[in-house]
Amino acid sequence: MIGAGGGATGLGAILVEVLQGLLALLLAPGIVGLVRFIKARLQGRRGAPPWQPYRELAKLFGKEMVVSRNASWIFGVAPYVVFASTLAVALLVPMLAAPLPIDRAGDLIVVVYLLLLGTFAIGLAGLDPGSAFGGMGSSRALTIAALAEPTIALAVFALAVPAGSTNLGRIVARAIEDPGGALSPGHLMALAALFIVMLAEAGRLPVDNPATHLELTMIHEAMILEYSGRSLALLEWAAFLKFFVFLSLLANLGLPWGVALNPGASAVLVAAAILIVKVALLAAAVAVLETRLAKLRLFRVPELLSVSFLLALLAITSSFLVE
Amino acid sequence: MSVEIFTTVMTLASSLVLLAGIAILWRRSLPAYIHAFARQSFFIVVAVLVLAARERDRELVLVALLMFALKVVFMPAALRRVQRHVGADADVRPYVNTPVSLAIAGILTLVAYAVAQPVVALSHLPTRGGMPLALASVFVGLFIVASRRSALSQIVGFLVMENGIALLAVLATYGVPLIVELGVFLDVLLGFLVMQVFVYRIRDAFETTDVDRLRSLRH
Amino acid sequence: MLLIPLLGSPLLAAALSWLVRPYRRWVGIASASLSVATFVIAILLARRCLDGAAIVLGPMEFLRADSLSAVFALLVAGGACVSTVFGRSYLDRERSDGRLGEDRLRRFHALTNVFIFTMLLAVTAHNVGIMWVAVEATTIATAFLIGLERSEGAIEASWKYILIGSIGIALAFVGTVLGYFDFVARVGPTDGALNWSVLVRVADRLDPDIMRLSFVFVLIGYGTKAGLAPMHTWLPDAHSEAPAPISAMMSGALLPVALYAVLRWKAVTDACVGDGFTDHMLMIIGALSVAVAAALLVRQAHYKRMLAYSSVEHVGLACLGFGFGPAGLPAALLHLLSHAAAKSTVFLLSGEILHRYRTTRVSGVSGLLKTMPLAGGLFLAGILGLLGLPPFGLFLSEFLLIRAGFAAGYPRLTGFVLLMVLLIFISLLGHVSRMLYGSPPEAIHRGDLPAARYVPIALSLAILVILGLVIPGPLASLLRSAVEVVYG
Repeated sequence: MIGAGGGATGLGAILVEVLQGLLALLLAPGIVGLVRFIKARLQGRRGAPPWQPYRELAKLFGKEMVVSRNASWIFGVAPYVVFASTLAVALLVPMLAAPLPIDRAGDLIVVVYLLLLGTFAIGLAGLDPGSAFGGMGSSRALTIAALAEPTIALAVFALAVPAGSTNLGRIVARAIEDPGGALSPGHLMALAALFIVMLAEAGRLPVDNPATHLELTMIHEAMILEYSGRSLALLEWAAFLKFFVFLSLLANLGLPWGVALNPGASAVLVAAAILIVKVALLAAAVAVLETRLAKLRLFRVPELLSVSFLLALLAITSSFLVE
Repeated sequence: MSVEIFTTVMTLASSLVLLAGIAILWRRSLPAYIHAFARQSFFIVVAVLVLAARERDRELVLVALLMFALKVVFMPAALRRVQRHVGADADVRPYVNTPVSLAIAGILTLVAYAVAQPVVALSHLPTRGGMPLALASVFVGLFIVASRRSALSQIVGFLVMENGIALLAVLATYGVPLIVELGVFLDVLLGFLVMQVFVYRIRDAFETTDVDRLRSLRH
Repeated sequence: MLLIPLLGSPLLAAALSWLVRPYRRWVGIASASLSVATFVIAILLARRCLDGAAIVLGPMEFLRADSLSAVFALLVAGGACVSTVFGRSYLDRERSDGRLGEDRLRRFHALTNVFIFTMLLAVTAHNVGIMWVAVEATTIATAFLIGLERSEGAIEASWKYILIGSIGIALAFVGTVLGYFDFVARVGPTDGALNWSVLVRVADRLDPDIMRLSFVFVLIGYGTKAGLAPMHTWLPDAHSEAPAPISAMMSGALLPVALYAVLRWKAVTDACVGDGFTDHMLMIIGALSVAVAAALLVRQAHYKRMLAYSSVEHVGLACLGFGFGPAGLPAALLHLLSHAAAKSTVFLLSGEILHRYRTTRVSGVSGLLKTMPLAGGLFLAGILGLLGLPPFGLFLSEFLLIRAGFAAGYPRLTGFVLLMVLLIFISLLGHVSRMLYGSPPEAIHRGDLPAARYVPIALSLAILVILGLVIPGPLASLLRSAVEVVYG
């Protein structure tokens, strides 16, 4: 791997990281709230205000936890694993500046594995109390993850080929330096593949309906059905965070402009502002998409994921073979 | 227009052409097939127009206009009309399920890259990057014909294949000589019309357009 | 100037048939006479091309006929002549039976003549792109002709034919585009870049890899139209369901026209690539076709399908001849000529048999020699000719083919093909003897058409016999110069 270059060293860089982590944690519920709000408006409802998720989280943190008698220690640990792994991903993804020293700690492959770790933990947690819905949700979620993971790996690799590095910071930096490359079909197809995978992994329509508790269709909600109180809050927050991370990753890979190439205070603040705009726009796009799409029947989900796999495959062939 | 941007635009258009062809493998109704075909044709028209603008070539503008009239407007409309008349067979019932179809499309694309490799190596044109994609559309069209049962979806597959060839000609040689191009248009149009007539005849004789039912001659 | 009447007379006949409404009997007679005229012109054309001269016409030498074109023009015009003249009996009968209305008769005549025109255009076009357009147009013209009877079988056959044919021909266009691309990339865009005489002339400057690729597409594409295995699946259906005169023309003339297109590209590819690449491809696909035909003929229960598979065999043999080098080519051309004479005969007579016995099954036909002594006798002669017995033309051409195969250094392949031909001989003879002998079914009406009606068939059998005894001097020199066209 090519090490992270640039002048981002020392205290400044650490500050950028801290800022990024805080930003992600604080904004994530708001973005999900925004999606819900826009969706409600598009569907002709008034809808809860965008800051409703913050209220929910606050309420949940204040509530008592009820744990099933059948649950083992896994049930208790899982929310922390999920939250920690998602937060780690949030730190590794270049949101405000690129490249960063922390890039040395992990590249895209690490990101992929951290995401998988979270999925795995929540899948186990869904199985653990032995309730019917939890098991069903876990089985569905893990099926989807098994189909989505190879796509992420391929798409990421397609993006890594032109940059000559699997380092996310490098890839984003390279995209800023070579704007023409951002229009290349390989790049676009890889992004499209990632977008589909994002919908699947973040449990959005048309794969999963985050607003339903209808037993036949729910996936993510089924897994966390047994949780309450602080654990539920952590899991919800992690889910918000995951969505936010995916959106900002897509935003920065697709439209890298605005990401600071050196971690100066003003540049980073500008970058933060631009990031919020980009993510909000993408969130709005997701909302529009979700109002236009019905949830796919479950057996169509593998088909959708094979579309994204194919896109990633095409992306990698056109990145590799047209050099 | 700089060469880099021209290259990118042409390669992008070729990818969209291929993706529109692949979209058919994922869609499940004839109207969606027809729509994907119209969209694919439209991307080719755009590619031809971009090329015509760059080369200042009047013949290519004519080709693009003809293609627009024929493949974006007329043929989709005619197909929709036939589909409405033939009725119930809007469902396309492929022989191969969607994930496998998509996997095959991926393999076909890889094959197209392998086959087109000497062609790309020889070409000096900035459009050469799109040639494997055009060839892949030809293969995907062929696969659609082979894997679909309804006579109408086979026609769409044939047209997708035809589109791939048209794109290949544009990318590889900036268009074949006009006289040949016109002859090709005429043939495609006539062939299309004949096929359309036979869809009606198949429906009248067999009361379905499922060509799987056409098996009286297998001996 | 011969090219104008050659292409003009079928076009005139087509226009007449289309414009005169309602259908009049004299239109059929005019159409048949014009096809005789076309044949005469084709003979004149062949005479002009004997010594390797080429006739050109039009801007940028739009049309160009040399000795190779002349061989195929002879074959097309001859097959068309026999089929349309004898086909009048077929049409008169279908009309009096009330099976063909005025409107369909009109369409039949118009499309048949368009079909003949497109075949002649394919063999005289100078531009390989136009050649492609003409071959594709044959598909469109014949689709309706196959489906003329509108039975379920006919519709099924035409659907398969038009779909598979169009796809094959589309692949041939990929090959054409690749060839043109090679030319433009290596030589630069010039006028007449797709003219085959130009392509052959600059072939040594073309890129061999691309030409190989191009030839593969061309062979698969036009091979589909030629009915070569494994792309032959449409052929037995189409040839067995089409009206007899159309089957006769499709088998005798159309299949060779598709091979003509392959030959033109072979000349270019050989001049560029140099080694035996095209020869090997042609030999493989030819031997495969013969083997597939042999396998499917053993238990063939329908006589028209039997004749169709026999076409696959003979096209395969011709393909092998193309692969056997300069000695194989004239044998293959001769083979195609003899095959056209023999196959039109038997296909036309099979229409008579079908009409009399009302079945396409071999088992439903017996005592043919008793019910229709004249037609049955001619049918037997045609079949014996197809089987390659002396004194018929196919005996001589197959002998020359086999000799060329051994001489070219492929004893095992040639031996295998010989074995397959023997197998076909046995099974075909078995099927046919069941049809010819035995006692005819009770209800069958006995008697032939008036003897004069059989004249065209007898003439084509006479040609077949002449070709079996001796290769006439002018034909020999025509074939020699055709070899020069392909091998330079």
